[in-house]
Amino acid sequence: MSDLELEPASFRDPASTVAYLDGRVLRGLTKEGAEDFGALSAASFFEPAMTEGRLVRTTEVPLEDLPQSVRGDAWVLALEHERIPFVTYPYEWTFSMLKDAALVHLDLLLAALGADLTMKDGYAYNLAFVGARPVFIDVGSFERVRPGEPWAGYRQFCQTILYPLLLQAHKDIRFQPWLRGQVQGIQPQELARLFSGTDRLRSGVLKHVTLHGAMDQRYSGSRAQDTQKELKAAGFSTELQKATVAAIRKLVSKLEWSRSASEWKDYQHTSTYTDTERQLKAAFVERALEGRGTRLLFDLGGNDGTYSRVAARHADYVVCADGDDLCLDGLYRALKHEGNAQILPAYLDLSDPSPALGWRGRERAGFFDRARPDAVLALALLHHLAITGNVPLAELVDWLHGLGARLVVEFVDPTDPMADRLLANKPAGMHGDYRREVFERLLEARFDVVEREEFPSGTRTLYHATPRRTP
Amino acid sequence: MLAYLDAASGSLIIQAIVAGAAGAAVFFKLGWRRITSPFRRRTATAEVGEQRDER
Repeated sequence: MSDLELEPASFRDPASTVAYLDGRVLRGLTKEGAEDFGALSAASFFEPAMTEGRLVRTTEVPLEDLPQSVRGDAWVLALEHERIPFVTYPYEWTFSMLKDAALVHLDLLLAALGADLTMKDGYAYNLAFVGARPVFIDVGSFERVRPGEPWAGYRQFCQTILYPLLLQAHKDIRFQPWLRGQVQGIQPQELARLFSGTDRLRSGVLKHVTLHGAMDQRYSGSRAQDTQKELKAAGFSTELQKATVAAIRKLVSKLEWSRSASEWKDYQHTSTYTDTERQLKAAFVERALEGRGTRLLFDLGGNDGTYSRVAARHADYVVCADGDDLCLDGLYRALKHEGNAQILPAYLDLSDPSPALGWRGRERAGFFDRARPDAVLALALLHHLAITGNVPLAELVDWLHGLGARLVVEFVDPTDPMADRLLANKPAGMHGDYRREVFERLLEARFDVVEREEFPSGTRTLYHATPRRTP
Repeated sequence: MLAYLDAASGSLIIQAIVAGAAGAAVFFKLGWRRITSPFRRRTATAEVGEQRDER
């Protein structure tokens, strides 16, 4: 009988704890948590929200399903949640993904307030994506509303969701590094200092940033418990909480990242591939994956998702990781339009992927520590990492070997226009080792090459290879 | 009364403004109560040895 593994990020709320058992996602609730869940499951929005995929599928399971050792006295109710195929964090989402996740969150909160429920927090990490669909996963966040109180999660929502959106919508500043640098998000007073002068006239800034920051400073000495009581005595009500959330919802729906909005009209990127070569490449990828039963595939440097789509025909789930957030945002919008639940865009600098963060460096797992892929595509990628990124070929091959997955990799010769353009930014002769013979030798030392195909142009080669166990 | 999350007073009060016209009424009433109830403020700060952490 295997042990129950507690989720490293689920320790703050005493009423509710997530744990894993044999691949299942379980949640244990105390008496308080169970009563809140009772109110949630009785609410009319609960079932439709799950059916429509906005709220993670949740069912009660018998407590007996859990091993004796952890059941103890604390848990009185157990739930099971649908498993998210691959979790990504807000600093790996594009603008439109964060915006859509925010809307799902706010709509659920509004529905909850209509059923005398609210949410304990407003954390961006309460959401995840299944393909292009945002899903609210923290069922433990719902609680019975206490009349006369404002939303306790508002500040967290500002810090981890609203402020990042405002930063990018109004200033065209990428929010991801801010969230990755400080998991708790951006503080009101900090952002207030960034938005000055006429910025304050922009949507949402005056109230949620400037005044919020001012209130934060002014009342920093006050006790929240007393403040709650005063607000209640002054007439704050659930209706006002609803009005607050509705106002935020209206604001978020208006926010746009202008560069992406204009790119959306024609997101087909120009490249130096001919149509024949695209077809050959697609066919190669198909042959490599056909009938292999690939469950999880990483398309590293997947750009506009062309080959993620090819791979998705032969894999259960595809994560398209790329460092171009504008391109990725375009991909997300297209996938959303199609209702795609199989391909997940992930904003990632492959030479600096998301590390482990949070409490004890375990709350937010590093990107490559979350799951082992069954297959990896590294197409039109290596020359960027080798030439612009200055990573030696031996390092790259070692890295790819370490992923422990079936590999489809493309080598672009230094004479190819794509590589040549990058080499032009460097002193001549600097990347003398960047040659096909060198790459093949390194590859064959660590991998078994299943198939090899050279493009008609003669400057690009595709390899299908499997890693050998011996290092 | 609160759930586990550490709440900040400023973030609670601002919601009265965000909520719109009805909330503004609450906000002003709040200010009025603070002015007319000095005893409440004294009680809050009279708690010896209980420091609120710097944010």
